[in-house]
Amino acid sequence: MATAQVAATAPPATHAGRFSPSMRGWFARIGVLAGLFALLMWVTAVVPGYWADRISLAVIFAIIGISLNIVLGYVGQVSLGHHGFVGIAAFVAAYYVTEQAGCTPETGCTITAFSTGMVVAAASGALAAGLLGIVALRIKGLYLALITLSYGFVAETSIFEIPSLTRAGSGMPAARPTAFDSDTEFAFLTFAFLALVIYLDWRLIRSKVGRAILSLKHSEPVASSYGINVTAFKILAFVMSGLFAGIGGGLYAFRLENVVANDFQFTSSLLWVLMVVVGGLGNRTGVIIGSAFFAVFPFLVELIPGAEHFFNDTLSRNISYLPILIGPALAIITIIQFPGGIAEQISPITRWLRGERFSLHPEGHGSHSKKDTRKAMLAKLGLDKNGEGEATEAPTEEIKQDSEPVVQGQPEEPHGSAGHDDTKEGVS
Amino acid sequence: MRTAIVVAVLAAFIGVVLFLGADDPSGPNASVVIGLVTGAAYGLVAIGLVLVYKGARVFNFAQGEFGTLAAFIVFVLLEQVTSPTIPYWAAALIAVFSVTLIGIGMERVVVRPLMNAPRVTLLVATIAFALLAIGVEIMLFLPEAKSLPRVIEAVNEAGQPVGPEVFGYSIEPQLLLIVAVLLALAAILGWFFSKTDLGLAILATSQDSFATRVVGIGVERTSRFIWGAAAFLGAVAGILYIPPSLPLAPGIMTAGVLIASFTAAVVGGMTSLPGAFVGGIAVGLIQSLSQWASGAWEIGGKTIDTIVPGAPNVAVFIVLLLVLLIRPQGLLGSEA
Repeated sequence: MATAQVAATAPPATHAGRFSPSMRGWFARIGVLAGLFALLMWVTAVVPGYWADRISLAVIFAIIGISLNIVLGYVGQVSLGHHGFVGIAAFVAAYYVTEQAGCTPETGCTITAFSTGMVVAAASGALAAGLLGIVALRIKGLYLALITLSYGFVAETSIFEIPSLTRAGSGMPAARPTAFDSDTEFAFLTFAFLALVIYLDWRLIRSKVGRAILSLKHSEPVASSYGINVTAFKILAFVMSGLFAGIGGGLYAFRLENVVANDFQFTSSLLWVLMVVVGGLGNRTGVIIGSAFFAVFPFLVELIPGAEHFFNDTLSRNISYLPILIGPALAIITIIQFPGGIAEQISPITRWLRGERFSLHPEGHGSHSKKDTRKAMLAKLGLDKNGEGEATEAPTEEIKQDSEPVVQGQPEEPHGSAGHDDTKEGVS
Repeated sequence: MRTAIVVAVLAAFIGVVLFLGADDPSGPNASVVIGLVTGAAYGLVAIGLVLVYKGARVFNFAQGEFGTLAAFIVFVLLEQVTSPTIPYWAAALIAVFSVTLIGIGMERVVVRPLMNAPRVTLLVATIAFALLAIGVEIMLFLPEAKSLPRVIEAVNEAGQPVGPEVFGYSIEPQLLLIVAVLLALAAILGWFFSKTDLGLAILATSQDSFATRVVGIGVERTSRFIWGAAAFLGAVAGILYIPPSLPLAPGIMTAGVLIASFTAAVVGGMTSLPGAFVGGIAVGLIQSLSQWASGAWEIGGKTIDTIVPGAPNVAVFIVLLLVLLIRPQGLLGSEA
């Protein structure tokens, strides 16, 4: 293959064909990945404890994001009750290590007790989601959003108020394992769990089951006509989501070391939905970055010199409320302007890392905006009134793409295709 | 016809309960009356939800926050604008008007670009808008709960609300006002959707947006009207319901009213305006009666403990689930 010799930084070839980077290209990619990983680990190791604690929060958010992404990104349903799953798992983990395994904040936990606690937490999350899914996922349409929201309220006002499970106001202690007692050590532990969740999610989606789940989003009737049991796979996806939420909840419990019901409110669920949307629906990398960003963003604002003073004193507003203002605004902008979210914006980099040519445009075929695709379609049908049929060489795969290729600052954006008022068209 | 039967059954149920519990102070009498007026507020919010669902086929999660925003605007105008002082009615009018404008603005900025997007996307967008509203409320008004004065101030020396007695239970006038407003709005909207051109155009749009456009109806215009009207209804509900029942805190209508109103709309059939009204009353009754039933009972000398924390929410969840599983079209719903 002649294309195999093209170095990673070489200009795009004009002919079609599967591109594969050279040895040097692969080394560059692996080097960049390893460098990023090492940087992340190094930062976690050297920052002071309270920053390590924030990093572990970001990692937990990433796990919750992956969990929600299964329902929202893969299946295309909305779950607004994830704070219920996460909270139940957190309380169950805390209940197990404190009441059953006998851990106390003074003595700490053994690794065995901690691992069992995490397994129990994950199982309880999966069970909670499974039970809800079995009854709720038979219902068609968007009603799942209402049911999960209602379920979240039940969890908040009933389950989290069971005194033996949650010790009501004072909260249920959850001692960390002695080997991971400091915030820095605990942050590394959460990274290990994130790696596990990423691996499971990756294996799930790459399997036959995963492809069946992904098919549900596009058309349930078509999926069922191919012999896919729609309800069963939806429930399975929901259980996986609950399992990951359970892992996130268990870690949340050990991060806080004392779980109180106030930590799990419906606004968290809404914010989690938005962080997945901002990250990029269905894209694991984007979701992880988006979720981590939502978790640490308020603390990053504090780093800006004078920002905290400006908020807390000049405006007399607490800076910790900022994410609930900025998060939704980001989500609205994402939905309307950049439907691909962060994933879309960083896709040149992620595609390069996956072994494609570096290019600012999806598929590396040069410019094709929404207008180009539309023009190509019109030209194909012979409907291009203005006779501007130059875009016909756009390959047909582009037309089939279901995500809008929105690339910011795209230089070849054709501004001159006048006469089309296509603001209402093509939003699929 | 079905509407008449459902209303008659509901009225008969209320009548029987009130009759049986007439002389029993610990009976369900007070709960029924509270449930009726709370249900009226749910119905008011649910009518806005049904309106949006009819027009845009989406659940509007921002409906509750229209109410909180309006209540906050009234609060600011009354408490923080001191010279000249603004009378209550003017503050309420300004608030309802501004929130209607906010609804129209939301339609233009958030809903219109997503008109042809998948409904899930639009649903998430309304969630984002609701959270944005909560964020703005927190930032502008601080998160501490405040209390908003009532439209009709009727409080005795002890600070207890006073008002006319309904079945031996004193109801403050503002709650009765909610029932009256709900009845009036339901009648107006019923007339609007069956008799006026715009109302029929909205119904047509909800059935087939493309065909509606072909016959020359401006889809943008109907959409703008729907979201403006929904915001108006939400604002009215917030100003009327928050003072007697809820503290004024950011997100209070979303946390306290929205899910019950959604259940009310689903019970009524999601597309039926009388259904939203009936559903609201039904959900209000179910909530207050389940709260009443959750307690320690002495039956035949034995104490039976039925205390369930958060009983009203559990009841709402069960009702929502059962209706969607058994009768997804609700009591009065139809595909229109």
